[in-house]
Amino acid sequence: MTENVVEVSGLVKHYPPDVKAVDGIDFSIPKGMIFSLLGPNGAGKTTAVEILEGLRSPTSGTARVFGVDVTKDYDQIRGRVGILPQNFEPFDMLRPAEAIEYWAKLYDMSVNRKDIDAIIDRVGLSNRKSSLSKKLSGGEKRKLGIALSIVNQPELLFLDEPTTGLDPKARRDLWKLIEEIREKGTTVLLTTHYLDEAEQLSDDVAIMLKGKIVARGTPSELIAKYGKMTVVVLAGAGKEGLYEVSRRGITATEEEGDVLVPVSSPAEMRVVLAKLASIELKVTDMYTRKQTLEDVFLNVVGTKMDEGVLAK
Amino acid sequence: MSRIIADMVAFGKQYIRSGVAMFFAFAFPILLILIFGAIFSGSGDVKFSMPIQDLDDGPYSDIYVDILRNITVVEVKMIPSDEDFYQYFEDNDLNTAILIPSNFSEQIALALAGDHGAKGLVTVYGDPSTSSFTTLVEIVEFSLTDLGNALTASTPVVGYLPRVPEELGGLTFMDFFLPGVVGLVVMTNTLYTITSTCAEYKTRSYFKLLATTRLKKHEWLLSKFLFYTVLLIASLLLTFAVGMALFDMTATITPLAVVFIAFGVFLFLSMGMLLGSIVRDPESASAVANAVGFPMMFLSGIFFELESMPGYIQAISKVFPLTYFNDGLRATMLEGDVEVALVNLAIVGVLGLVFFILGSKLMSWKER
Ligand SMILES: Nc1ncnc2c1ncn2[C@@H]1O[C@H](COP(=O)(O)OP(=O)(O)OP(=O)(O)O)[C@@H](O)[C@H]1O
Ligand SMILES: [Mg+2]
Repeated sequence: MTENVVEVSGLVKHYPPDVKAVDGIDFSIPKGMIFSLLGPNGAGKTTAVEILEGLRSPTSGTARVFGVDVTKDYDQIRGRVGILPQNFEPFDMLRPAEAIEYWAKLYDMSVNRKDIDAIIDRVGLSNRKSSLSKKLSGGEKRKLGIALSIVNQPELLFLDEPTTGLDPKARRDLWKLIEEIREKGTTVLLTTHYLDEAEQLSDDVAIMLKGKIVARGTPSELIAKYGKMTVVVLAGAGKEGLYEVSRRGITATEEEGDVLVPVSSPAEMRVVLAKLASIELKVTDMYTRKQTLEDVFLNVVGTKMDEGVLAK
Repeated sequence: MSRIIADMVAFGKQYIRSGVAMFFAFAFPILLILIFGAIFSGSGDVKFSMPIQDLDDGPYSDIYVDILRNITVVEVKMIPSDEDFYQYFEDNDLNTAILIPSNFSEQIALALAGDHGAKGLVTVYGDPSTSSFTTLVEIVEFSLTDLGNALTASTPVVGYLPRVPEELGGLTFMDFFLPGVVGLVVMTNTLYTITSTCAEYKTRSYFKLLATTRLKKHEWLLSKFLFYTVLLIASLLLTFAVGMALFDMTATITPLAVVFIAFGVFLFLSMGMLLGSIVRDPESASAVANAVGFPMMFLSGIFFELESMPGYIQAISKVFPLTYFNDGLRATMLEGDVEVALVNLAIVGVLGLVFFILGSKLMSWKER
């Protein structure tokens, strides 16, 4: 039996008069996993995470970390947990090394230069060691935030939207860092509204919407359950293409001038390809791609999401 | 303890590195002293008005008054000889004045005749800390030299005596002003910065982060208290040294004055924490801090003596904690009145405690 680091059941958080920020969620996170709460703005991710961090008290339900009820005995697990809050900005006027030393001492840890350098090196800030934090780039600030969150060598790490607002390169850097942290045995609870991030990093994903978990599983389970296996892309086929394809009884959608035909099994693929071969179609290219969490999200929620905002 | 020190060091580094704060702790009080010193001690007149009372009306006093009249920058104003000099000085709000005593000519005559003990002495009367007094003394010095030369006397036959009006009790405007500046600096540094720090810590989730470490709320406050106490004692010493160097002051730094700094820091930190617990963001923080701090700045007797204010202002001033801080600090620094100082210290301490209890009840590092 695997040991669950986090266990949440029937968790509810209401804000009067009528905001149901968290509306009855259950999940557990086994040791050593990266678990993602994936959802748009206002889904209730931060609320759920901060309840687990002992920072908010739930209206009802239970939240346990390392088997301890966080609403009552957070003190017992303080020190075993690391936290990166949403939109974290480090202390402007401290250098990374100073901030790390400060933070370590707040956990009653004694650190020497070598320990500090090791952490700075681990998050990839060695070349910015002596800059004031306010001069760091967005990605570097987030890395410093993660450095602070792992200063106490936590067994569980909460990362609330660690890559929001960063450029693709910085996001990839952070993904690598998060994976490295997990490899050292740390359990990670991550919130994000990036589908690619959840797919790339998580062992387990919960899609959250309006305070509820609407889908749950590993990325491939979710794709298998809510998505089709593969999509045939008829690039540049346009509205006419969609009409022609639909006329032959093939389920398809049109997106930015491309026609997409989802296919769920090799048998279906043969049929679809045969049908397509018989149609005169103006296409610039034709290829297949695997379905992603993006397709799952579209199927489950019924709309797309961009930077945490749901499309109409 | 090590957590408190770590927090104090980190906070202090940030505070000192953000130059604004150092401005408020060190440059601000010195600027205030220089500016107000110049305004209240200076005289912008082109002509230097010189009220003179000639009680002698003898041959030599006539020559002397003529010498003064001939100095272009001096405008001699005679005080009628039947007026009481000191009363007249009071009634006409004079800053400086010269008194020629009735024995002036007689003494000079004796001196000219070879009596070495005799000398014609004029009295230079006024507040020695003011620049008009200094100017007056200079004018008197060289005009008396002129008189000596005119009399072709080989030994000094004339001289002057500086005198300080009694009701000043030896205290100058600077003596009065300096404790006020200290109060102002203690208040602005702690109240304003802690209110905005609270707002910043909220918007940047620092409080939430701190709440997950082992640092306790009271430790966080204690570290701020220690830092500001040390900083503001340093500020007091510097301000005082500058005041001493530039102005003639009788105010002294007493041990009780140092205790006042610590109590003041506690009081205004607690007040700032209370305000900080109700503000949401840095913008509202400065608005709220100003709404409280600004009236307090002008109505707590920093710049003007409250006794000379209308009764209702005096009544209002009793509401402001800074009034008690200023009163107490003046009592110990100017008058050496330990009893009054201790009463005010007690008031400051009790108010601090009340704000502290309210503030720590209301301040939450968590979200509801
Ligand atoms: N303190 C509060 N008082 C009232 N309502 C709140 C409070 N905190 C959060 N909410 C509401 O609860 C809902 C969930 O908010 P939450 O911050 O948990 O969402 P989120 O999933 O983290 O969103 P985001 O991606 O924008 O961070 C929102 O509608 C929000 O307005
Ligand atoms: Mg959030």
